[in-house]
Amino acid sequence: MILRTPPKKRKSEPLPAITADNQLVIYEDPNPESPHQVKADFLEALSSNEKEVDSLQSKLEQVNEEMQRKEVESKKFESRLRFVEQELAAAKGREQMLQKQYMKDVTDFQERHQKLLKDYSELEVKLKKEVNIRKNLESTATAAEEKALILEEKLQKLTEIAEREKKHLQNELSYFQNDSRLSVSKINAERELFECRAINAEKEAELFKRQLFELKNQLEECIQKKNEAENKLLSLNVPTQEPNSEGTRIRIKNLQDELRNYESEVQEARKLKSFHANAELLKEKISEERFRREQAEAELIKVQESQTKVDKLQDELMPWKSMIKEIPGAECCEDIPKKFAVMQKELVESMLKVGEVNGRLKELEITLEKALLDKQDAETQLGLAKKKEEEMFLELKRLELTVTSITGERDRLWALIATYEKEAAIAGKMDGTSGTGGADENRVKELELSLAEKEHMVSELEHSFCEQKEVIGNQHREIELLSERLNNEARRIKSLEREGYRLRSEISLLESKLGHGDYSAANTKVLRMANTLGVDNEAKQTIEALRDELQKTQARLKAVEEFKGQTDAGHLVDSSITEKLAELKKQIATLEKREERYKTVFAEKISIFRRACCALFGYKIVMDDQQRPNGIPVTFFTLHSIYAQSDDEKLEFEYESGNTNIVMNTYTSQPDIAQQMEIYVRKWNAIPAFTANLTVESFSRTTIS
Amino acid sequence: MASKTATKDVITLKGSAAIVSEFFGYAANSILYNRGVYPEECFVKVKKYGLPMLLIEDDAVKAFLACLTSQISEWLESGKLQRVVLVIMSKASSEVLERWNFNIETDNEVVEKGVSRAKSDKEIMREIQAIMRQIASSITYLPCLDEPCVFDVLAYTDTDLEIPVTWMESDAKLILNPQMVKLHSFDTKIHKVDTLVSYKNDEWDEQ
Repeated sequence: MILRTPPKKRKSEPLPAITADNQLVIYEDPNPESPHQVKADFLEALSSNEKEVDSLQSKLEQVNEEMQRKEVESKKFESRLRFVEQELAAAKGREQMLQKQYMKDVTDFQERHQKLLKDYSELEVKLKKEVNIRKNLESTATAAEEKALILEEKLQKLTEIAEREKKHLQNELSYFQNDSRLSVSKINAERELFECRAINAEKEAELFKRQLFELKNQLEECIQKKNEAENKLLSLNVPTQEPNSEGTRIRIKNLQDELRNYESEVQEARKLKSFHANAELLKEKISEERFRREQAEAELIKVQESQTKVDKLQDELMPWKSMIKEIPGAECCEDIPKKFAVMQKELVESMLKVGEVNGRLKELEITLEKALLDKQDAETQLGLAKKKEEEMFLELKRLELTVTSITGERDRLWALIATYEKEAAIAGKMDGTSGTGGADENRVKELELSLAEKEHMVSELEHSFCEQKEVIGNQHREIELLSERLNNEARRIKSLEREGYRLRSEISLLESKLGHGDYSAANTKVLRMANTLGVDNEAKQTIEALRDELQKTQARLKAVEEFKGQTDAGHLVDSSITEKLAELKKQIATLEKREERYKTVFAEKISIFRRACCALFGYKIVMDDQQRPNGIPVTFFTLHSIYAQSDDEKLEFEYESGNTNIVMNTYTSQPDIAQQMEIYVRKWNAIPAFTANLTVESFSRTTIS
Repeated sequence: MASKTATKDVITLKGSAAIVSEFFGYAANSILYNRGVYPEECFVKVKKYGLPMLLIEDDAVKAFLACLTSQISEWLESGKLQRVVLVIMSKASSEVLERWNFNIETDNEVVEKGVSRAKSDKEIMREIQAIMRQIASSITYLPCLDEPCVFDVLAYTDTDLEIPVTWMESDAKLILNPQMVKLHSFDTKIHKVDTLVSYKNDEWDEQ
C-alpha cells in the first residue's frame, strides 16, 4: 500500500470534464489568476502526480513482478500439473495394465478356483466314495481275511489230511497192489502148480483107479480063485491043502502088500485131492484179494476226489491271492491292513493338503477382494483428483484471465499516463490554466480509485493464491497418500506376482509330471491296443524262421537219404533205436514183475500177519481212518471176537495220536462189560487184559453152551 | 442363413468325439511320417484342416489306426478317456524314445446331461491346424531317430472302464528325465486336447 499526502484544497472549481472517450476538454478559467501561480501549482501537482505515478509504476512493477512470479509459479504449477497429469496418465496406464492383469489374474484365479472347487468337490465325492469303498473293502477284507484264514486253515488241514491220506492210501495201495499182485502171481503159480499136480494126481488117480480096478478085478479073480481054491481045498483032501494054503498065504501076503501099496497110493491120491481142494481155497483167496483190490481202487477214487477238492480249494485260494496281488504293494494277507493304514494316512494327508489349498484359496480370495476394494478406492480417489485437477485448471484459467485483465488495466493506465504526460506537455506549452489542476486531481482520484481497486484485486489474488496454496498442499498430501497406496498396491502386486510365479512353477511341475506320463493308479489305468502289427510281424518272422528251418531240415533229409543210399546207416540207426526200445521195454517188464512180486509178498505177509493176529489174540481187527469235525484225524479199530455169539459183540476203540480210548456201544454198555471196563480200562488202563478177559469169558460161554 | 450358421456353431458330444478321434488319426499319421517311423513312400498326400496331410497306405497300419480311432471315439463319448499317448520305441531295444501326449479334458456336464455347446467349426479347425503345423515343425528340435523304430498307442482311462477284447492293460512306457515341449491345444468346448511331446535326452546335447 502506497500512502500519499492529500492535495491542497482549493476553491471548488469545476474540474475539466472528462468525456466519455477520455479526452481532456480545455478549461477556461472564469477568474483568471496569475499564470505563474497556476503553473507552479500545476507543476507541484504534476510532480506529485509524477511521484504518484512513479509510486504507482513501482507498485505496478511490483505487481508485474508479482505477476511474473505468479506466472512463473503458475508455469511451475502448470508443469507440475502436467507432470501430475503425466503421472496420472502413467498411473492410469499402469492401473489399466494392473486392472487387466488383475482381471486376468482374477479370471485365472477364479477359473482355477472354480476348477479347484470342482476338483475339490469331485475329490470330496471321490473321497466319500473311496471312504465307502474303503469301508466296504475293509469289511470285505476283514471278512475275506477271516474267510481266507479259515480257508487257509481248512486248506492246510485238508492238504495235510489229504496228503496224509494220500500217502497212507498210496502206501496202502502200493502195499495192497504189491500184495495182491504177489499173492495173485503166487496163487497163480501155486494154482498152476496145484493144477499141474492135480492133473497129474488126477491122472495118477485115474491110473491108480485103473490099477485099483484091475487090482480089484485081480482081487476078485483072486478071491474067486481063492474061493475056488477053498472050494477045491474043501473038495480036496487035507495034505494037498497045506502047500496050496502056503502059496495062497504068500499070494495073499503079496496081495495084501500090493493092497497096502495101493492104499498108500490112494492116500496120496486123496492128498492130491485135498491139494485140489486147497487150490480152490486159494482161488477163493484170490477172489478175496481181488475184492480188496477193488476196495483199494475205490479208495483211490476217493483219493482222486480229495485231490479234486484240494484243487477246488486251491482255485478258491487263487482269487484271494490275485486280490492280494491287485492291491499294490501287498504281497500277502498281512500286508493288506498295512496297506489300508498307508492309504488312510495318504487320505488324511490329502485331506490336509486339500484343507491347505482351500485355506490358500480363501486367503487369495480375501487378498483379491481387498485388492479390488483398494482398486475401487484408488479409482474413486483418482476421479476426485481428476475433478480437482479440472478445478485447478479452471482456477488457473481464471487466474490467467485476471492476469490478462490486470495487464490490460496496466496498459490502460500506461495509456492514461501517456495522455497525462501529453496534456502536461500541452499545458506547459500553453503556460497553464486554472482548470488543469482540477482535472489532475480528478485523474489522481481516478488513479487512486483504480489503485485501490488494484490493491483490492491484489489482496483478492493473494487470498486466492493462499487458497490455491492450501489446495495444492492438500493435493500434495493426497498425492502422497495415493503414492503410499500405490506403493502398497505395488507391494501387493509383487506378492501376487510371487504367488503367480509359485502357481506357474506348480503348473510347470504338474505339466512336467503330465509330460513324463505320471498317473494315479487309483483313478487311471493304462491300456494298450493288442498290437496286431507286432503280432503279425512276429508271426511273419516265426514263419520265416520256420521256413528256414524246414528248408534246412529238407536239405539235411536229402543229405541223409543220399547217405542212406550210399551206406546202410539208416538201418543201423533204426536198429539201434529199436534195440534201445526193446531194452527199455524189458527193463519195464522186469520192474513191473518185481513190483508185482513185492506186492504179492507184502499181501502174503500182511494176510499171514492178520490171520496170525486173529488166531493168537482171538480178535478180528477192522481199521477205519476217519476225521473229526475239527479236522483232527482219528483211527477207529473194531474188534470182533472169534468167540462172539453175535455181530453186536464188538469192541470199538479210537486211536488218536498215540492214545487209545474205548468207545461206548450197546455191547460195552452192558453192566458186566461196563464193570470190567471200569476195572481194567479206566482203573488200570490195561486194554489187553480187558480184551483177554472178555475172550476167556466168551470162550467159556461158547464152550459151555 | 442365420439359422444355418446358428446350427453349425452348435457342437454335440458325438460330434466333438468324432472331431477329436479324427484329429488323433491324422496326428498319428503326421507323427509317423514326420518322425520317419515308416518310409516316405508308404504315405499318400491328402488335404485336411487346410493343410496337405499325409496318410499311410499300409493296410495293416491303416486297420490299426481305424480301430484305434473308433475305440477312442467310443471312449470320448463315454467321457472316460483321460489321455492318449503315442509312444515311439526303438525296434531293437524297445527303449521308449518319444511320447506324444494328448491330454483330454472332458466337460462332464455334457456327458452327464447331454447338453450341447457352441463353437464354430472354423475356429476348431484353425486350432487343429496350428497343432498340425507344430507337429510338422517338431523335426527341427526333436532328436534324430537314426534307428528302426516302432510305435504303440496307450490310452489312460478311468479305472471303472471295461477293457475291450482288443485292448489290454499295460505299463506307462515312461522316459527317464525326459525333455518336454508343450504344443498348442484345441478345444471343442466339450473336449479340450492339450498336446505335449516328451523325448529322451539327446546324449550329444548333454555333452
